[in-house]
Amino acid sequence: MTLTIAVAVFTTIVTAYFVLWNAWQFVMGGTASRFVWRYQWRRNIRSRALVARLASPPLVSIVVPARNESLTIVESIRALLALEYEAREIIVVNDGSSDDTLAVLQRTFRLIAAPLATGQPLKTAEVRGIYRSIDEPDLVVIDKVSAGSKADASNAGINVASGTLFLNMDADTMLEPDALSRGILPFLEDPTTVAAGGYVAIANGARVEGARVVDAGMPRSWLARFQIVEYMRSFLLFRLACASHNAVTIVSGAFGLFRRDAVIEVGGFSHDAIGEDFDLTLRLQRHFRAARRPARIAFVPVPVCWTQAPEDLPSLKAQRTRWRRGLLQTLWRFRGVVGNPRYGVVGMIVLPSTLFFEGVGPLLETAGYLVATVAFFVGILNWSHYKVLLATSILLGAATTLLAIFLSDLTARRYLRGRDLALLCLAAVLENFGYRQLNAWWGCVGTVQALTGKGGWGPMKRRAFTPIDTQ
Amino acid sequence: MNALLDNVDRLALWVLWTSLSIVGVMAAIVIAGRLALLAHDRRVRRLRRAWDPAIERALQGDTKARETLARSPSRDRLELARFLIFPLVDDRRPDRIAATRDIIRVMSLIPLADRWLRSHRWWRRIPALQSFGLLQMAERAPQIVAALDDGNADVRSAALDALADLKDPATLKAIVVRLHDTSLQRGRRAAALTAFGPQCEGFLIDLARVDPEHRLNYAKALSVCGTARSRPSLCDWTSDTRAPARAAAFEALARIGLDDRAAGLAIAALDSDDVQERAMAAAALSGWTAVGDEAAQLARHLGDAWPVAVRAAHTLRTMGSAGRAALESCAARADQAGELARQMLWEVEAGV
Repeated sequence: MTLTIAVAVFTTIVTAYFVLWNAWQFVMGGTASRFVWRYQWRRNIRSRALVARLASPPLVSIVVPARNESLTIVESIRALLALEYEAREIIVVNDGSSDDTLAVLQRTFRLIAAPLATGQPLKTAEVRGIYRSIDEPDLVVIDKVSAGSKADASNAGINVASGTLFLNMDADTMLEPDALSRGILPFLEDPTTVAAGGYVAIANGARVEGARVVDAGMPRSWLARFQIVEYMRSFLLFRLACASHNAVTIVSGAFGLFRRDAVIEVGGFSHDAIGEDFDLTLRLQRHFRAARRPARIAFVPVPVCWTQAPEDLPSLKAQRTRWRRGLLQTLWRFRGVVGNPRYGVVGMIVLPSTLFFEGVGPLLETAGYLVATVAFFVGILNWSHYKVLLATSILLGAATTLLAIFLSDLTARRYLRGRDLALLCLAAVLENFGYRQLNAWWGCVGTVQALTGKGGWGPMKRRAFTPIDTQ
Repeated sequence: MNALLDNVDRLALWVLWTSLSIVGVMAAIVIAGRLALLAHDRRVRRLRRAWDPAIERALQGDTKARETLARSPSRDRLELARFLIFPLVDDRRPDRIAATRDIIRVMSLIPLADRWLRSHRWWRRIPALQSFGLLQMAERAPQIVAALDDGNADVRSAALDALADLKDPATLKAIVVRLHDTSLQRGRRAAALTAFGPQCEGFLIDLARVDPEHRLNYAKALSVCGTARSRPSLCDWTSDTRAPARAAAFEALARIGLDDRAAGLAIAALDSDDVQERAMAAAALSGWTAVGDEAAQLARHLGDAWPVAVRAAHTLRTMGSAGRAALESCAARADQAGELARQMLWEVEAGV
């Protein structure tokens, strides 16, 4: 009897969570759709030409932290040098690589040791040397001792950067040719803009030529396919909805444009943050909102860059548990912001919802599966209600994904082949059978790791960019 | 109890059907969207194939081709107008603009643009304004200027873009007097000033004379479009009581270049209490090669606050032999001044 009551109470909690979650998804979907609709009209061919009409567009320093990236670094830099935006410098930070990343760079770009004074506003691990290219005057390479974090490498790059803006990216990120021209528009339009993120798309399955995605296609791996729809939901629903209320709480580490002085003002990237991008974005929000200074964090809803998604379970598990630890660490660090009206929408809506849906969600979901299994074996599971709950959850999840696909069609116009659409729709349904449960479970594993202080970066298989990547 | 369970069952069924309907509607939207995109792309390709030759000929002055375009089906005209107008974003040759304008006129699309400009829908007003600007329709200048006060921010931005494209001196005043209007986008204001170039200068100087309160903005604007004509005014503004205005004046002087008086003021400002002013004064001296102790004075600031030091170093690089000698005298030092001096000397050697 007690067990029956406990199961009934738990079912009520899960159902309430489920109702709230789907209502939240629909609110975000509506807000994001409105944002995209406005964006489509605002960002027409004439408004994008603004950069070309300026006498002196702002200098952007592209900071590329690289650790053991010898396979891809040359192609990546060549692609950066070929960007449409000319007012840029490229700062590669070799973060204590144990492979021949530095040697490859030295050989390819004819690097020579060069004196380069820096203001050193941010503390970093020891810089062993600074190199400049004889062939490419805009290329600077910093060789530094690793402090075990991307944050430290990024800070070293920021110290050297001479641009008013800097782009923080991953070494394996492939930028769209017009990524910078699009990315700097929010800064040109609104002087209070301190950061701008962009839609990071998944490159698996795409045709790549010279570190440029020339044709997006669906990968063969179902894990990668699931991540494609997952990224679409994350970037085109949640972040767009936040951006429409100036409440972006995460500017992705794969592509983030920042005003250098604002980042230095908040102390740069945090060395000990697991999710350094999430942490920095929230510090910017907290700092400027607390000081009652106007600051905007913008979001560009078109694909500005492409990144490799893990296609094997160990890599994916490592990534997801790390993200989970980063989420919990950041939520703990910013617990004073959660529910605090001083921080506006970020404090009152975005962070509480993140805490509730992303923080508690995976635990509740995993517990739900466990309780349902126990109830089934004990014979007290209301099977008909459980089926309805499960079916509705799958259907509404698929509806949300379909909305994200629709918004992706409007903004990105990728995956336009009929087969790709069929696969996307199939992925939206199939992800509910295994992938979603795995993610929830990894969420629990990450939580335990966060509480016990365990867990590291984990394995991540990298692949070189082949001339034509049609995996 | 049974009635309650019945209700729950009915509710569950209703929820299930509602969810299924939502998925169905969303799937229909995605498929319809895809079909619309494909149909649009196909139509554009078809129209390109059919009309591109006529457009090319019409742009070269072929009257028959213009007549053909004028007789084009009305359902295709908007798309044809896009084919004609969009290239003008990058191609601003006056003959091309004039030819396109004439074609658009004979296609009777101007009345439609006028209607769109009066539309209560902001997404109609934007393309109308942009078209008038790209086509340089000077007779529509009053409407474009009026749109600078539109209730919609995106329409105001489009109006600013249109005025930059129009380049009609009659509209210059409208742009300049809105220099302090923060509801207009900063980048677009700068682009408009860049488009007019030195034509703005006179207005800016005159307005600054009667409106010293906004001197900072005028100085910033002159840094975009100023010439030697602005120098005396900017020199006067370097004695403004507000440090940001003084710094902005030196920033503009850095773009314009110095004369003896301005150089003297910049040297004196190197001892200012304000970091930004010192930095801009150091930047202003860039390229100054008069024989004095300017280089030595600048070299003393290599150990100053970083924004000042880095500008002083870059300026010394441009000061010829005097600058080089000053850099060499600091190069052996182990501090920030030494690092900067070594970097600059290396860059001079490497030709970076």
